[in-house]
Amino acid sequence: MVDFLQACINGLLTGALYALIGMGLALIFGVMRIVNFAHGAFLMVGMYTSWVLFDKLKINPYIGFLAAGVFLFFFGYLVYLLLIQPIRDRSDFMQILMTTGIALILVDGVQLKFGADYHQTNIELVNRTLRFGPFAVNAAYLLSFAIAAVCIVSLRSFVVRSRTGQALRAIAQNREVAPLMGINVTRIQGLSFALGIAVAGVAGGLLLPALYLFPTVGDDYTLKAFVIVVLGGMGSIEGAAFGGLVLGVAESLTSFYIGNQWALIVDFVLFLLVLSLKPSGIFGRQRA
Amino acid sequence: MPLTGSQAAFGEALKNGYLIAVDEINARGGVLGKKLELDFYDDQSKPDQAVQGVSKLVDQDRVPVLIGSFSSESTKAMIPSIIQRQVALIIPAANADNVMESKSPWVFRICSGAADYANATVSFLKANGAPKTIAIVYENTNFGQAGMKAMSVAAPAGGMKVVAVESYEAKSPDYRSVLRRVKQANPDVIYFCSYLLDATTLMRQSQEIDLNPRYYTSAGTGFATAEFPTAKGAGRNAEYTFSVAQWVATARWAGSREFDAEYLKRYNSHPTHHGMFSYEALQVAARAINDAKSLDSAKIRDAIRNLNLSMTPFGPIKFDANGQNQHPVIITQVQGGQYRIVYPQDAADSKPVIPAPKWSDRR
Repeated sequence: MVDFLQACINGLLTGALYALIGMGLALIFGVMRIVNFAHGAFLMVGMYTSWVLFDKLKINPYIGFLAAGVFLFFFGYLVYLLLIQPIRDRSDFMQILMTTGIALILVDGVQLKFGADYHQTNIELVNRTLRFGPFAVNAAYLLSFAIAAVCIVSLRSFVVRSRTGQALRAIAQNREVAPLMGINVTRIQGLSFALGIAVAGVAGGLLLPALYLFPTVGDDYTLKAFVIVVLGGMGSIEGAAFGGLVLGVAESLTSFYIGNQWALIVDFVLFLLVLSLKPSGIFGRQRA
Repeated sequence: MPLTGSQAAFGEALKNGYLIAVDEINARGGVLGKKLELDFYDDQSKPDQAVQGVSKLVDQDRVPVLIGSFSSESTKAMIPSIIQRQVALIIPAANADNVMESKSPWVFRICSGAADYANATVSFLKANGAPKTIAIVYENTNFGQAGMKAMSVAAPAGGMKVVAVESYEAKSPDYRSVLRRVKQANPDVIYFCSYLLDATTLMRQSQEIDLNPRYYTSAGTGFATAEFPTAKGAGRNAEYTFSVAQWVATARWAGSREFDAEYLKRYNSHPTHHGMFSYEALQVAARAINDAKSLDSAKIRDAIRNLNLSMTPFGPIKFDANGQNQHPVIITQVQGGQYRIVYPQDAADSKPVIPAPKWSDRR
């Protein structure tokens, strides 16, 4: 029983970060219907940003992640205006091509600048273990979890309560009518794209102490993010958060009870299950 | 060799060895009266790139003999290309046994194989407490799989039961579930087959989940690098781990200490056995070309086969019928942040500390 709970705890810790990544994509894909195959690449850029700050300026990633978020917000906005907006109304296929291209440029650009070597970020916190009775929790993971939880809650209240968030949901519900309500569609969409990317950057910064850093580290996360968004339900930020947690726990339990190499497979098993049993996702609404 | 990518640290170690060797060779008059020049190809730690490297070096640059790569995965991928092109390959560091399974006359290996590692570890364990159960944790590529297979055979032969066999994918560095499953099996010994980043993470996470076997052993590699016992690696978590090694600076082979001093002078750190592998591989290659008195690949191949050096900084060099150099394996333990030789007795400079103190007792 202890092992089961410990595996669940580990799953929730990573799940919170998955939730954050998923919510970023939920904003972009779920709400704006932009097929963003570059999501993992932006996450990777967030990781490298945090790493550069750590390596050159000795800034702890747990502060550096904020800088990564801010940088990626502006970077995301720029990318949206220059590259995404022009093909906004074209087919999904165009978006896939464009975002795949962006991903390639980001990955190869980072490799050109930083090389393909793997890097490990050794900060003191990663070596600290907190023990609660029979349970062991890595201090760094716990901190990442706490920060991610705060970000998730803030993001959700922003989308639900703020005017910009309401404008965003209005656009998601009916894009043709939204401008009639006085909503500047281009600006709001740009903002939400930027926000989604910024969230990916923050997640990257928080993941830095836990993962090895190398140019293609984001690839797996793009796929995971799509699985999470579908799992949680398109258009639902809460769904993505929930989906992320579910995925984290599922991977952790599979890893422990069946084997480490099956953990990635469970992502896709869940994906297929959701698509066949409840395609609109756990929290999803059927779109008219 | 991998100058970039996940195995860049090892590629760098190999390169350093080659550079020292080439200077020594040229100082002695070079090869066939001319200066020896090294043509490096970076395979980026990827097997497909290694195969391309063979093409480039042999077909385009027309090298007379090839040395490389590093990893068992990359090296094994190169073998068919080598055989097809009929150029001798000297393998400095690839440990997996299947790398030599082609039995081709063109393939030679300087370092010992996975089976030797496993056998040496088992002999050491039998002579030092004779534990009864062992768990094997390995990275899921050729090197790891070879180490696992070798130990799966050697352990029962040495009176130990294999109670857990766990593989992991190196890309996702959360091995807690793997280590927890090992903890459930409660082994006396754990045998790791890992590269550097994983060695660091595995020891850190072993401490985190409070995994306490009596012996932490390993198939060298990640557990035998210069960085492993330092802050760049596992730091204090590395203490008490055993590793197989094929060479340390304090080994009683002529030229060993001189090599260590030269390496330290040039690169500001002590070499691990990888530096010695590459150094020795190049020395062997140069020697063979000089013995063959020709750049003809077949003659060089025969010259390598006929070598019988009784004393080099790497001990005696002699290749058996299969192209494998007969090299003894030693066991080291990290004590006080340093690698100390603990086995066999006649090579040892320290006594092994057994059992490894529990994590809660260390600090």
